[in-house]
Amino acid sequence: MMEPTLSHYLLVSGALFSIGLLGVIVRRNLLIIYMSLELMLNSANVALVAMSRFYGKLDGQVMVFFIITVAAAEVAVGLALIVALYRKRQTAEVEDLATMKL
Amino acid sequence: MGDQLKFVQLEMMVVALGLLVLIADLAMAPSRRRLLGYLSAAGLFVVFLLSFRDGYTALVNESTEAFFNSRYKVDGLALFFKRFFLIAGIFVLVFAVDFSERLRSGMAEYYSFIVFALSGMMFAASANDFSMLFVSIELITITFYILVSFQRHRLHSLEAGVKYLILGAVSSAFMIYGIALVFGVAGSLQFDDLHAQQSELIQSKVFLFGMLFLFAGLAFKISAFPFQVWAPDVYQGAPTPTTAFLAVGSKAAGFVLLIRLLVAAVPEVTAEWTSVLLVISALTILYGNLCALPQRNLKRLLAYSGIANAGYLLMGIVAQSEEGTVAILYYLAGYLFTVMAAFMIINLLTKEGEGEDISCLSGLSKRSPFLAFAMTLAAVSLAGIPPLAGFFGKFLLVKSVATEAFGNTCFFVLLAVAVFGVVVSIYYYFGIVRTIFWGRRKADEPTPPPVTIGLPVRIVLGCCVAAMLYLGLLPNKPVKWAETAAKVGVTSK
Repeated sequence: MMEPTLSHYLLVSGALFSIGLLGVIVRRNLLIIYMSLELMLNSANVALVAMSRFYGKLDGQVMVFFIITVAAAEVAVGLALIVALYRKRQTAEVEDLATMKL
Repeated sequence: MGDQLKFVQLEMMVVALGLLVLIADLAMAPSRRRLLGYLSAAGLFVVFLLSFRDGYTALVNESTEAFFNSRYKVDGLALFFKRFFLIAGIFVLVFAVDFSERLRSGMAEYYSFIVFALSGMMFAASANDFSMLFVSIELITITFYILVSFQRHRLHSLEAGVKYLILGAVSSAFMIYGIALVFGVAGSLQFDDLHAQQSELIQSKVFLFGMLFLFAGLAFKISAFPFQVWAPDVYQGAPTPTTAFLAVGSKAAGFVLLIRLLVAAVPEVTAEWTSVLLVISALTILYGNLCALPQRNLKRLLAYSGIANAGYLLMGIVAQSEEGTVAILYYLAGYLFTVMAAFMIINLLTKEGEGEDISCLSGLSKRSPFLAFAMTLAAVSLAGIPPLAGFFGKFLLVKSVATEAFGNTCFFVLLAVAVFGVVVSIYYYFGIVRTIFWGRRKADEPTPPPVTIGLPVRIVLGCCVAAMLYLGLLPNKPVKWAETAAKVGVTSK
Protein backbone atom coordinates (compact mmCIF):
# COMPACT_ATOMS: atom_id res chain seq x y z
CA MET A 1 0.00 0.00 0.00
CA MET A 2 1.41 3.37 -1.01
CA GLU A 3 1.62 6.19 1.51
CA PRO A 4 -0.08 9.36 0.23
CA THR A 5 2.48 12.15 -0.15
CA LEU A 6 2.15 15.92 -0.39
CA SER A 7 1.83 15.82 -4.15
CA HIS A 8 -1.19 13.51 -3.93
CA TYR A 9 -2.98 15.96 -1.69
CA LEU A 10 -2.06 18.82 -3.98
CA LEU A 11 -3.36 16.90 -6.98
CA VAL A 12 -6.68 16.36 -5.22
CA SER A 13 -6.85 20.01 -4.29
CA GLY A 14 -6.03 21.09 -7.84
CA ALA A 15 -8.68 18.76 -9.21
CA LEU A 16 -11.28 20.08 -6.75
CA PHE A 17 -10.44 23.66 -7.71
CA SER A 18 -10.76 22.89 -11.42
CA ILE A 19 -14.03 21.01 -10.98
CA GLY A 20 -15.39 23.92 -8.95
CA LEU A 21 -14.30 26.49 -11.51
CA LEU A 22 -15.75 24.40 -14.33
CA GLY A 23 -19.02 24.17 -12.42
CA VAL A 24 -19.17 27.94 -11.96
CA ILE A 25 -18.59 28.48 -15.67
CA VAL A 26 -20.76 25.71 -17.09
CA ARG A 27 -23.77 25.37 -14.79
CA ARG A 28 -26.69 27.76 -15.16
CA ASN A 29 -28.43 27.32 -11.83
CA LEU A 30 -27.43 29.75 -9.09
CA LEU A 31 -27.54 27.16 -6.33
CA ILE A 32 -25.30 24.75 -8.22
CA ILE A 33 -22.92 27.60 -9.03
CA TYR A 34 -22.84 28.41 -5.36
CA MET A 35 -22.08 24.78 -4.51
CA SER A 36 -19.21 24.80 -6.99
CA LEU A 37 -17.88 27.94 -5.33
CA GLU A 38 -17.79 26.16 -2.00
CA LEU A 39 -15.83 23.39 -3.68
CA MET A 40 -13.27 25.95 -4.85
CA LEU A 41 -12.91 27.36 -1.33
CA ASN A 42 -12.47 23.87 0.13
CA SER A 43 -9.83 22.92 -2.42
CA ALA A 44 -7.66 25.68 -0.99
CA ASN A 45 -8.32 24.29 2.49
CA VAL A 46 -7.05 20.86 1.45
CA ALA A 47 -3.91 22.40 -0.02
CA LEU A 48 -3.29 24.55 3.07
CA VAL A 49 -3.71 21.69 5.52
CA ALA A 50 -1.50 19.37 3.46
CA MET A 51 1.27 21.94 3.18
CA SER A 52 0.99 22.95 6.79
CA ARG A 53 1.49 19.30 7.75
CA PHE A 54 4.38 19.01 5.29
CA TYR A 55 6.16 22.02 6.79
CA GLY A 56 5.22 21.19 10.36
CA LYS A 57 3.97 24.77 10.68
CA LEU A 58 0.55 25.53 12.05
CA ASP A 59 0.04 28.79 10.12
CA GLY A 60 -1.74 27.02 7.28
CA GLN A 61 -4.15 25.18 9.54
CA VAL A 62 -5.03 28.39 11.39
CA MET A 63 -5.70 29.98 8.03
CA VAL A 64 -8.09 27.13 7.26
CA PHE A 65 -10.13 28.00 10.34
CA PHE A 66 -10.43 31.55 9.10
CA ILE A 67 -11.46 30.34 5.66
CA ILE A 68 -14.12 27.98 7.03
CA THR A 69 -15.57 30.73 9.22
CA VAL A 70 -15.60 33.26 6.41
CA ALA A 71 -17.11 30.70 4.03
CA ALA A 72 -19.91 30.03 6.53
CA ALA A 73 -20.69 33.74 6.70
CA GLU A 74 -20.57 33.93 2.93
CA VAL A 75 -23.00 31.01 2.57
CA ALA A 76 -25.41 32.55 5.08
CA VAL A 77 -25.50 35.84 3.18
CA GLY A 78 -25.40 34.24 -0.25
CA LEU A 79 -28.25 31.80 0.27
CA ALA A 80 -30.41 34.54 1.79
CA LEU A 81 -29.73 36.63 -1.26
CA ILE A 82 -30.55 33.83 -3.69
CA VAL A 83 -33.78 33.08 -1.80
CA ALA A 84 -34.75 36.77 -1.90
CA LEU A 85 -34.14 36.81 -5.63
CA TYR A 86 -36.13 33.60 -6.09
CA ARG A 87 -39.10 35.10 -4.24
CA LYS A 88 -39.03 38.08 -6.55
CA ARG A 89 -38.50 36.29 -9.86
CA GLN A 90 -39.50 32.66 -9.24
CA THR A 91 -36.30 31.59 -10.95
CA ALA A 92 -32.73 30.79 -10.04
CA GLU A 93 -31.28 30.62 -13.53
CA VAL A 94 -28.49 32.99 -14.46
CA GLU A 95 -30.04 33.76 -17.86
CA ASP A 96 -32.82 35.62 -16.09
CA LEU A 97 -30.36 38.00 -14.49
CA ALA A 98 -30.07 40.43 -17.37
CA THR A 99 -32.50 43.23 -16.68
CA MET A 100 -29.81 45.90 -16.57
CA LYS A 101 -28.46 46.52 -20.02
CA LEU A 102 -27.30 49.88 -21.18
CA MET B 1 -1.43 41.94 25.69
CA GLY B 2 -3.89 44.51 27.01
CA ASP B 3 -1.24 47.11 26.48
CA GLN B 4 -0.80 46.04 22.88
CA LEU B 5 -4.45 46.52 22.00
CA LYS B 6 -3.60 50.20 21.59
CA PHE B 7 -2.55 49.33 18.04
CA VAL B 8 -6.14 48.48 17.15
CA GLN B 9 -7.87 51.12 19.25
CA LEU B 10 -9.44 52.95 16.32
CA GLU B 11 -10.78 49.75 14.80
CA MET B 12 -12.18 48.64 18.16
CA MET B 13 -13.99 51.95 18.50
CA VAL B 14 -15.46 51.63 15.02
CA VAL B 15 -16.66 48.05 15.61
CA ALA B 16 -18.14 49.09 18.98
CA LEU B 17 -19.94 51.95 17.23
CA GLY B 18 -21.46 49.54 14.72
CA LEU B 19 -22.71 47.27 17.52
CA LEU B 20 -24.03 50.27 19.46
CA VAL B 21 -26.07 51.37 16.47
CA LEU B 22 -27.64 47.91 16.26
CA ILE B 23 -28.52 47.91 19.96
CA ALA B 24 -29.73 51.51 20.03
CA ASP B 25 -32.06 50.66 17.17
CA LEU B 26 -34.09 48.45 19.53
CA ALA B 27 -34.81 51.32 21.87
CA MET B 28 -35.49 53.93 19.26
CA ALA B 29 -38.82 54.99 17.86
CA PRO B 30 -38.95 54.27 14.12
CA SER B 31 -39.55 57.91 13.33
CA ARG B 32 -36.28 58.90 14.95
CA ARG B 33 -34.02 56.34 13.31
CA ARG B 34 -32.53 58.98 11.02
CA LEU B 35 -30.94 60.43 14.11
CA LEU B 36 -29.04 57.18 14.48
CA GLY B 37 -27.34 57.76 11.14
CA TYR B 38 -26.24 61.25 12.11
CA LEU B 39 -25.08 59.99 15.51
CA SER B 40 -22.94 57.28 13.95
CA ALA B 41 -21.49 59.81 11.50
CA ALA B 42 -20.68 62.02 14.50
CA GLY B 43 -19.15 59.01 16.25
CA LEU B 44 -16.92 58.33 13.26
CA PHE B 45 -15.93 61.99 13.23
CA VAL B 46 -14.81 61.66 16.85
CA VAL B 47 -12.76 58.57 15.90
CA PHE B 48 -11.31 60.58 13.02
CA LEU B 49 -10.26 63.34 15.43
CA LEU B 50 -8.83 60.76 17.84
CA SER B 51 -6.59 59.46 15.06
CA PHE B 52 -4.69 62.77 15.31
CA ARG B 53 -4.06 62.32 19.02
CA ASP B 54 -0.34 62.30 19.87
CA GLY B 55 -0.72 59.04 21.73
CA TYR B 56 -1.97 57.39 18.55
CA THR B 57 0.30 58.98 15.98
CA ALA B 58 3.29 58.07 18.16
CA LEU B 59 2.50 54.41 17.43
CA VAL B 60 3.81 54.96 13.90
CA ASN B 61 7.35 55.12 15.23
CA GLU B 62 6.80 52.28 17.64
CA SER B 63 7.64 48.83 16.37
CA THR B 64 4.66 46.54 16.05
CA GLU B 65 7.01 43.58 16.29
CA ALA B 66 5.44 42.59 19.58
CA PHE B 67 1.90 42.86 18.31
CA PHE B 68 0.84 39.67 16.49
CA ASN B 69 4.47 39.24 15.49
CA SER B 70 4.25 42.28 13.16
CA ARG B 71 1.35 40.83 11.23
CA TYR B 72 -0.39 44.12 11.79
CA LYS B 73 1.24 47.38 10.83
CA VAL B 74 0.52 50.84 12.11
CA ASP B 75 2.70 53.00 9.88
CA GLY B 76 2.27 56.16 7.85
CA LEU B 77 0.49 54.34 5.04
CA ALA B 78 -1.96 52.67 7.44
CA LEU B 79 -2.66 55.98 9.14
CA PHE B 80 -3.29 57.76 5.83
CA PHE B 81 -5.73 55.10 4.68
CA LYS B 82 -7.49 54.81 8.03
CA ARG B 83 -8.25 58.54 7.91
CA PHE B 84 -9.21 58.27 4.26
CA PHE B 85 -11.70 55.48 5.04
CA LEU B 86 -13.07 57.36 8.05
CA ILE B 87 -13.79 60.43 5.94
CA ALA B 88 -15.42 58.23 3.30
CA GLY B 89 -17.47 56.50 6.03
CA ILE B 90 -18.72 59.80 7.46
CA PHE B 91 -19.75 61.06 4.03
CA VAL B 92 -21.46 57.80 3.13
CA LEU B 93 -23.41 57.78 6.41
CA VAL B 94 -24.70 61.31 5.87
CA PHE B 95 -25.56 60.25 2.35
CA ALA B 96 -27.30 57.11 3.63
CA VAL B 97 -29.50 59.12 6.02
CA ASP B 98 -30.60 61.22 3.10
CA PHE B 99 -31.35 58.00 1.20
CA SER B 100 -33.00 56.11 4.03
CA GLU B 101 -36.62 56.65 2.93
CA ARG B 102 -35.97 54.54 -0.12
CA LEU B 103 -34.65 51.60 1.87
CA ARG B 104 -38.14 50.90 3.27
CA SER B 105 -36.82 48.64 6.03
CA GLY B 106 -33.75 48.07 8.12
CA MET B 107 -32.43 51.63 8.22
CA ALA B 108 -30.33 51.09 11.34
CA GLU B 109 -28.89 47.88 9.93
CA TYR B 110 -27.88 49.78 6.83
CA TYR B 111 -25.94 52.29 8.93
CA SER B 112 -24.30 49.61 11.02
CA PHE B 113 -23.26 47.60 7.96
CA ILE B 114 -21.61 50.70 6.55
CA VAL B 115 -19.70 51.01 9.83
CA PHE B 116 -18.70 47.32 9.75
CA ALA B 117 -17.50 47.56 6.16
CA LEU B 118 -15.50 50.60 7.25
CA SER B 119 -13.88 48.61 10.06
CA GLY B 120 -12.88 45.97 7.49
CA MET B 121 -11.25 48.65 5.37
CA MET B 122 -9.38 50.01 8.38
CA PHE B 123 -8.08 46.53 9.19
CA ALA B 124 -7.06 46.12 5.56
CA ALA B 125 -5.02 49.32 5.78
CA SER B 126 -2.79 47.64 8.36
CA ALA B 127 -2.72 44.08 7.03
CA ASN B 128 0.79 42.71 6.79
CA ASP B 129 -0.05 39.03 6.63
CA PHE B 130 -2.16 36.86 4.37
CA SER B 131 -4.65 35.85 7.05
CA MET B 132 -5.18 39.51 7.95
CA LEU B 133 -5.48 40.37 4.26
CA PHE B 134 -8.02 37.62 3.63
CA VAL B 135 -10.20 38.27 6.67
CA SER B 136 -10.30 42.04 6.19
CA ILE B 137 -11.05 41.72 2.47
CA GLU B 138 -13.86 39.27 3.21
CA LEU B 139 -15.24 41.50 5.96
CA ILE B 140 -15.52 44.22 3.35
CA THR B 141 -16.88 41.99 0.60
CA ILE B 142 -19.50 40.12 2.61
CA THR B 143 -20.91 43.31 4.12
CA PHE B 144 -21.02 44.72 0.62
CA TYR B 145 -23.09 41.75 -0.61
CA ILE B 146 -25.71 42.89 1.89
CA LEU B 147 -25.30 46.61 1.26
CA VAL B 148 -25.63 46.14 -2.51
CA SER B 149 -28.84 44.10 -2.29
CA PHE B 150 -30.37 46.14 0.53
CA GLN B 151 -33.38 47.37 -1.44
CA ARG B 152 -34.99 43.95 -1.58
CA HIS B 153 -38.13 45.35 -3.20
CA ARG B 154 -36.12 46.43 -6.25
CA LEU B 155 -35.19 43.70 -8.67
CA HIS B 156 -32.16 45.66 -9.88
CA SER B 157 -30.72 45.80 -6.40
CA LEU B 158 -31.14 42.05 -5.87
CA GLU B 159 -29.74 41.25 -9.26
CA ALA B 160 -26.72 43.44 -8.62
CA GLY B 161 -26.29 41.72 -5.26
CA VAL B 162 -26.33 38.23 -6.78
CA LYS B 163 -23.88 39.23 -9.50
CA TYR B 164 -21.54 40.74 -6.95
CA LEU B 165 -21.94 37.66 -4.77
CA ILE B 166 -21.04 35.10 -7.44
CA LEU B 167 -18.16 37.05 -8.97
CA GLY B 168 -16.91 38.16 -5.56
CA ALA B 169 -16.90 34.60 -4.30
CA VAL B 170 -15.02 33.40 -7.40
CA SER B 171 -12.41 36.09 -6.85
CA SER B 172 -12.00 35.19 -3.18
CA ALA B 173 -11.67 31.52 -4.13
CA PHE B 174 -8.84 32.50 -6.49
CA MET B 175 -7.30 34.61 -3.79
CA ILE B 176 -7.19 31.89 -1.15
CA TYR B 177 -5.95 29.31 -3.61
CA GLY B 178 -3.21 31.80 -4.42
CA ILE B 179 -2.50 32.17 -0.71
CA ALA B 180 -2.30 28.39 -0.40
CA LEU B 181 0.22 28.19 -3.26
CA VAL B 182 2.31 31.03 -1.86
CA PHE B 183 2.26 29.40 1.55
CA GLY B 184 3.26 26.13 -0.06
CA VAL B 185 6.42 27.66 -1.52
CA ALA B 186 7.37 30.22 1.10
CA GLY B 187 6.25 28.29 4.18
CA SER B 188 4.96 31.47 5.76
CA LEU B 189 1.98 33.74 5.56
CA GLN B 190 3.78 36.89 6.65
CA PHE B 191 4.69 39.62 4.18
CA ASP B 192 7.94 40.24 6.06
CA ASP B 193 9.07 36.65 5.48
CA LEU B 194 8.18 36.88 1.81
CA HIS B 195 10.23 40.05 1.58
CA ALA B 196 13.23 38.40 3.19
CA GLN B 197 13.31 35.47 0.74
CA GLN B 198 11.87 37.10 -2.36
CA SER B 199 14.88 36.57 -4.61
CA GLU B 200 14.70 32.78 -4.11
CA LEU B 201 10.90 32.70 -4.25
CA ILE B 202 10.82 34.46 -7.57
CA GLN B 203 12.60 31.47 -9.15
CA SER B 204 9.60 29.31 -8.34
CA LYS B 205 6.88 29.13 -10.98
CA VAL B 206 4.39 27.93 -8.39
CA PHE B 207 5.03 31.02 -6.29
CA LEU B 208 4.50 33.33 -9.26
CA PHE B 209 1.33 31.42 -10.13
CA GLY B 210 0.07 31.90 -6.59
CA MET B 211 0.88 35.60 -6.72
CA LEU B 212 -1.01 35.83 -9.99
CA PHE B 213 -4.10 34.30 -8.35
CA LEU B 214 -3.75 36.72 -5.47
CA PHE B 215 -3.44 39.62 -7.88
CA ALA B 216 -6.60 38.43 -9.63
CA GLY B 217 -8.48 38.60 -6.31
CA LEU B 218 -7.27 42.12 -5.61
CA ALA B 219 -7.80 43.25 -9.21
CA PHE B 220 -11.44 42.27 -8.79
CA LYS B 221 -11.68 44.68 -5.86
CA ILE B 222 -10.24 47.58 -7.82
CA SER B 223 -12.10 46.52 -11.01
CA ALA B 224 -9.02 46.27 -13.22
CA PHE B 225 -9.37 45.04 -16.78
CA PRO B 226 -10.07 41.32 -17.06
CA PHE B 227 -11.91 41.38 -13.72
CA GLN B 228 -14.13 44.40 -14.24
CA VAL B 229 -17.29 42.80 -15.68
CA TRP B 230 -19.25 43.14 -12.44
CA ALA B 231 -18.72 46.87 -12.00
CA PRO B 232 -21.32 48.46 -14.32
CA ASP B 233 -24.26 46.27 -13.27
CA VAL B 234 -23.44 46.39 -9.56
CA TYR B 235 -22.88 50.15 -9.57
CA GLN B 236 -26.15 50.68 -11.39
CA GLY B 237 -28.29 48.34 -9.32
CA ALA B 238 -26.96 49.07 -5.85
CA PRO B 239 -28.48 51.76 -3.62
CA THR B 240 -26.57 54.95 -4.42
CA PRO B 241 -24.78 55.35 -1.03
CA THR B 242 -23.52 51.78 -1.42
CA THR B 243 -22.32 52.57 -4.93
CA ALA B 244 -20.40 55.57 -3.64
CA PHE B 245 -18.82 53.53 -0.86
CA LEU B 246 -18.01 50.72 -3.29
CA ALA B 247 -16.40 53.16 -5.72
CA VAL B 248 -14.28 54.86 -3.09
CA GLY B 249 -13.76 52.58 -0.10
CA SER B 250 -13.59 49.16 -1.69
CA LYS B 251 -11.30 50.39 -4.45
CA ALA B 252 -8.96 52.13 -2.01
CA ALA B 253 -8.84 49.00 0.17
CA GLY B 254 -7.75 47.02 -2.90
CA PHE B 255 -5.05 49.57 -3.59
CA VAL B 256 -3.66 49.70 -0.07
CA LEU B 257 -3.28 45.91 -0.17
CA LEU B 258 -1.68 46.07 -3.63
CA ILE B 259 0.80 48.63 -2.29
CA ARG B 260 1.54 46.48 0.75
CA LEU B 261 2.00 43.38 -1.36
CA LEU B 262 3.49 44.49 -4.67
CA VAL B 263 5.38 47.61 -3.64
CA ALA B 264 6.47 46.86 -0.08
CA ALA B 265 6.62 43.07 0.30
CA VAL B 266 7.72 41.62 -3.04
CA PRO B 267 9.01 44.45 -5.29
CA GLU B 268 11.03 41.90 -7.27
CA VAL B 269 7.85 40.18 -8.43
CA THR B 270 6.50 43.55 -9.52
CA ALA B 271 9.70 44.20 -11.46
CA GLU B 272 9.34 40.78 -13.12
CA TRP B 273 5.73 41.57 -14.03
CA THR B 274 6.24 45.13 -15.23
CA SER B 275 5.00 44.35 -18.73
CA VAL B 276 1.93 42.42 -17.49
CA LEU B 277 0.93 45.22 -15.12
CA LEU B 278 1.58 47.76 -17.84
CA VAL B 279 -0.73 45.97 -20.28
CA ILE B 280 -3.43 45.55 -17.62
CA SER B 281 -3.19 49.23 -16.73
CA ALA B 282 -3.39 50.34 -20.37
CA LEU B 283 -6.30 48.01 -21.20
CA THR B 284 -8.20 49.12 -18.09
CA ILE B 285 -7.85 52.76 -19.10
CA LEU B 286 -8.96 52.02 -22.67
CA TYR B 287 -11.86 49.75 -21.70
CA GLY B 288 -13.24 52.13 -19.08
CA ASN B 289 -13.07 55.22 -21.22
CA LEU B 290 -14.31 53.69 -24.47
CA CYS B 291 -17.25 51.89 -22.84
CA ALA B 292 -18.26 55.05 -20.99
CA LEU B 293 -18.81 56.88 -24.27
CA PRO B 294 -22.30 55.59 -25.18
CA GLN B 295 -23.67 55.48 -21.60
CA ARG B 296 -26.82 57.38 -20.75
CA ASN B 297 -27.25 56.04 -17.24
CA LEU B 298 -25.20 58.21 -14.88
CA LYS B 299 -24.36 55.50 -12.35
CA ARG B 300 -23.25 53.20 -15.15
CA LEU B 301 -21.22 56.01 -16.65
CA LEU B 302 -19.46 56.57 -13.34
CA ALA B 303 -18.85 52.82 -13.09
CA TYR B 304 -16.97 52.84 -16.38
CA SER B 305 -15.17 56.00 -15.34
CA GLY B 306 -14.26 54.16 -12.12
CA ILE B 307 -12.76 51.34 -14.18
CA ALA B 308 -10.73 53.87 -16.17
CA ASN B 309 -9.57 55.47 -12.92
CA ALA B 310 -8.42 52.10 -11.62
CA GLY B 311 -6.26 51.94 -14.74
CA TYR B 312 -4.73 55.34 -14.01
CA LEU B 313 -4.11 54.32 -10.40
CA LEU B 314 -2.36 51.13 -11.56
CA MET B 315 0.14 53.36 -13.36
CA GLY B 316 1.45 54.26 -9.92
CA ILE B 317 2.09 50.58 -9.20
CA VAL B 318 3.70 50.09 -12.61
CA ALA B 319 6.11 52.95 -11.86
CA GLN B 320 7.45 50.95 -8.89
CA SER B 321 8.77 53.99 -7.12
CA GLU B 322 7.93 55.96 -4.03
CA GLU B 323 6.81 58.71 -6.38
CA GLY B 324 4.28 56.30 -7.85
CA THR B 325 2.89 55.46 -4.41
CA VAL B 326 2.63 59.16 -3.55
CA ALA B 327 0.71 59.70 -6.78
CA ILE B 328 -1.70 56.85 -5.96
CA LEU B 329 -2.42 58.29 -2.53
CA TYR B 330 -2.93 61.78 -3.91
CA TYR B 331 -5.17 60.60 -6.72
CA LEU B 332 -7.29 58.49 -4.38
CA ALA B 333 -7.78 61.47 -2.06
CA GLY B 334 -9.00 63.58 -4.96
CA TYR B 335 -11.15 60.72 -6.24
CA LEU B 336 -12.86 60.34 -2.86
CA PHE B 337 -14.23 63.88 -2.83
CA THR B 338 -15.02 64.00 -6.52
CA VAL B 339 -16.95 60.74 -6.74
CA MET B 340 -18.75 61.28 -3.47
CA ALA B 341 -20.02 64.66 -4.67
CA ALA B 342 -21.08 63.23 -8.03
CA PHE B 343 -23.07 60.34 -6.54
CA MET B 344 -24.74 62.59 -3.96
CA ILE B 345 -25.91 64.98 -6.64
CA ILE B 346 -27.19 62.15 -8.84
CA ASN B 347 -29.11 60.85 -5.84
CA LEU B 348 -30.68 64.25 -5.11
CA LEU B 349 -31.90 64.55 -8.67
CA THR B 350 -33.43 61.12 -9.21
CA LYS B 351 -36.53 59.77 -7.59
CA GLU B 352 -37.21 56.20 -6.61
CA GLY B 353 -38.04 54.01 -9.56
CA GLU B 354 -36.76 56.40 -12.19
CA GLY B 355 -33.62 55.54 -14.02
CA GLU B 356 -30.56 57.66 -13.44
CA ASP B 357 -30.71 58.92 -16.99
CA ILE B 358 -28.37 61.75 -17.88
CA SER B 359 -31.38 63.90 -18.83
CA CYS B 360 -32.20 64.34 -15.12
CA LEU B 361 -29.35 66.85 -15.08
CA SER B 362 -30.87 69.10 -17.72
CA GLY B 363 -31.77 72.55 -16.52
CA LEU B 364 -29.88 71.96 -13.27
CA SER B 365 -28.17 75.32 -13.60
CA LYS B 366 -31.59 76.97 -13.18
CA ARG B 367 -32.96 74.58 -10.57
CA SER B 368 -30.00 74.74 -8.25
CA PRO B 369 -26.92 76.76 -9.15
CA PHE B 370 -24.98 75.25 -6.24
CA LEU B 371 -25.56 71.65 -7.38
CA ALA B 372 -24.79 72.64 -10.96
CA PHE B 373 -21.53 74.20 -9.80
CA ALA B 374 -20.56 71.16 -7.68
CA MET B 375 -21.43 68.64 -10.41
CA THR B 376 -19.51 70.64 -13.00
CA LEU B 377 -16.49 70.72 -10.71
CA ALA B 378 -16.77 66.95 -10.18
CA ALA B 379 -17.00 66.23 -13.91
CA VAL B 380 -14.15 68.59 -14.72
CA SER B 381 -12.01 67.13 -11.96
CA LEU B 382 -12.68 63.57 -13.15
CA ALA B 383 -11.75 64.63 -16.67
CA GLY B 384 -8.46 65.93 -15.34
CA ILE B 385 -8.68 69.58 -16.29
CA PRO B 386 -6.54 71.98 -14.25
CA PRO B 387 -6.83 73.43 -11.66
CA LEU B 388 -8.76 70.65 -9.88
CA ALA B 389 -7.81 67.66 -7.78
CA GLY B 390 -8.16 65.17 -10.64
CA PHE B 391 -5.70 67.07 -12.79
CA PHE B 392 -2.94 67.17 -10.24
CA GLY B 393 -3.43 63.50 -9.35
CA LYS B 394 -3.20 62.44 -13.00
CA PHE B 395 -0.21 64.73 -13.44
CA LEU B 396 1.63 63.01 -10.57
CA LEU B 397 0.78 59.55 -11.92
CA VAL B 398 1.95 60.40 -15.42
CA LYS B 399 5.08 62.01 -14.00
CA SER B 400 5.92 58.96 -11.92
CA VAL B 401 5.70 56.74 -14.99
CA ALA B 402 7.54 59.25 -17.18
CA THR B 403 10.55 59.43 -14.85
CA GLU B 404 10.93 55.66 -15.15
CA ALA B 405 10.27 55.66 -18.88
CA PHE B 406 13.86 56.25 -19.94
CA GLY B 407 14.80 52.83 -18.70
CA ASN B 408 11.95 51.11 -20.49
CA THR B 409 10.47 52.31 -23.75
CA CYS B 410 7.23 50.34 -23.21
CA PHE B 411 6.35 52.96 -20.62
CA PHE B 412 5.91 55.50 -23.39
CA VAL B 413 3.11 53.36 -24.82
CA LEU B 414 1.37 53.47 -21.44
CA LEU B 415 1.79 57.25 -21.33
CA ALA B 416 0.31 57.56 -24.81
CA VAL B 417 -2.66 55.39 -23.80
CA ALA B 418 -3.18 57.45 -20.64
CA VAL B 419 -3.23 60.71 -22.58
CA PHE B 420 -5.55 59.21 -25.20
CA GLY B 421 -7.84 58.04 -22.36
CA VAL B 422 -7.96 61.53 -20.89
CA VAL B 423 -8.90 63.00 -24.27
CA VAL B 424 -11.68 60.43 -24.75
CA SER B 425 -12.95 61.00 -21.22
CA ILE B 426 -13.23 64.75 -21.80
CA TYR B 427 -15.92 63.97 -24.37
CA TYR B 428 -18.27 62.15 -22.01
CA TYR B 429 -17.57 64.28 -18.94
CA PHE B 430 -18.40 67.33 -21.00
CA GLY B 431 -21.59 65.62 -22.06
CA ILE B 432 -22.55 65.92 -18.38
CA VAL B 433 -21.55 69.58 -18.22
CA ARG B 434 -23.43 70.30 -21.44
CA THR B 435 -26.61 68.72 -20.10
CA ILE B 436 -26.36 70.74 -16.89
CA PHE B 437 -26.15 74.10 -18.64
CA TRP B 438 -27.68 73.62 -22.07
CA GLY B 439 -29.79 70.49 -21.78
CA ARG B 440 -33.41 70.96 -22.84
CA ARG B 441 -36.40 69.25 -21.33
CA LYS B 442 -39.19 68.04 -23.57
CA ALA B 443 -41.70 70.80 -24.34
CA ASP B 444 -44.68 69.15 -22.65
CA GLU B 445 -42.79 68.46 -19.43
CA PRO B 446 -43.43 70.84 -16.54
CA THR B 447 -40.41 72.68 -15.19
CA PRO B 448 -39.27 70.80 -12.10
CA PRO B 449 -39.15 72.74 -8.83
CA PRO B 450 -35.87 73.87 -7.28
CA VAL B 451 -34.06 71.06 -5.48
CA THR B 452 -34.22 71.05 -1.72
CA ILE B 453 -31.04 69.99 0.01
CA GLY B 454 -30.80 69.17 3.69
CA LEU B 455 -28.16 70.92 5.76
CA PRO B 456 -25.93 67.85 6.43
CA VAL B 457 -25.81 66.99 2.73
CA ARG B 458 -25.08 70.63 1.97
CA ILE B 459 -22.16 70.56 4.42
CA VAL B 460 -20.74 67.36 2.92
CA LEU B 461 -21.06 68.71 -0.61
CA GLY B 462 -19.40 71.95 0.53
CA CYS B 463 -16.52 69.91 1.99
CA CYS B 464 -16.17 67.97 -1.26
CA VAL B 465 -16.07 71.13 -3.36
CA ALA B 466 -13.58 72.78 -1.00
CA ALA B 467 -11.37 69.68 -1.02
CA MET B 468 -11.44 69.41 -4.83
CA LEU B 469 -10.32 73.01 -5.13
CA TYR B 470 -7.79 72.75 -2.30
CA LEU B 471 -6.14 69.59 -3.65
CA GLY B 472 -5.96 71.13 -7.09
CA LEU B 473 -4.86 74.67 -6.25
CA LEU B 474 -2.60 74.20 -3.22
CA PRO B 475 -1.10 70.75 -3.70
CA ASN B 476 2.10 71.35 -1.71
CA LYS B 477 0.83 70.36 1.70
CA PRO B 478 -1.25 67.33 0.67
CA VAL B 479 1.70 66.05 -1.39
CA LYS B 480 3.85 66.29 1.77
CA TRP B 481 1.25 64.22 3.66
CA ALA B 482 1.22 61.65 0.88
CA GLU B 483 5.02 61.57 0.90
CA THR B 484 5.20 60.81 4.60
CA ALA B 485 2.56 58.14 4.13
CA ALA B 486 4.24 56.55 1.12
CA LYS B 487 7.41 55.58 2.95
CA VAL B 488 6.42 51.94 3.24
CA GLY B 489 9.00 49.48 4.23
CA VAL B 490 9.13 46.03 5.62
CA THR B 491 10.60 45.40 9.05
CA SER B 492 13.74 43.49 8.29
CA LYS B 493 14.49 40.47 10.36
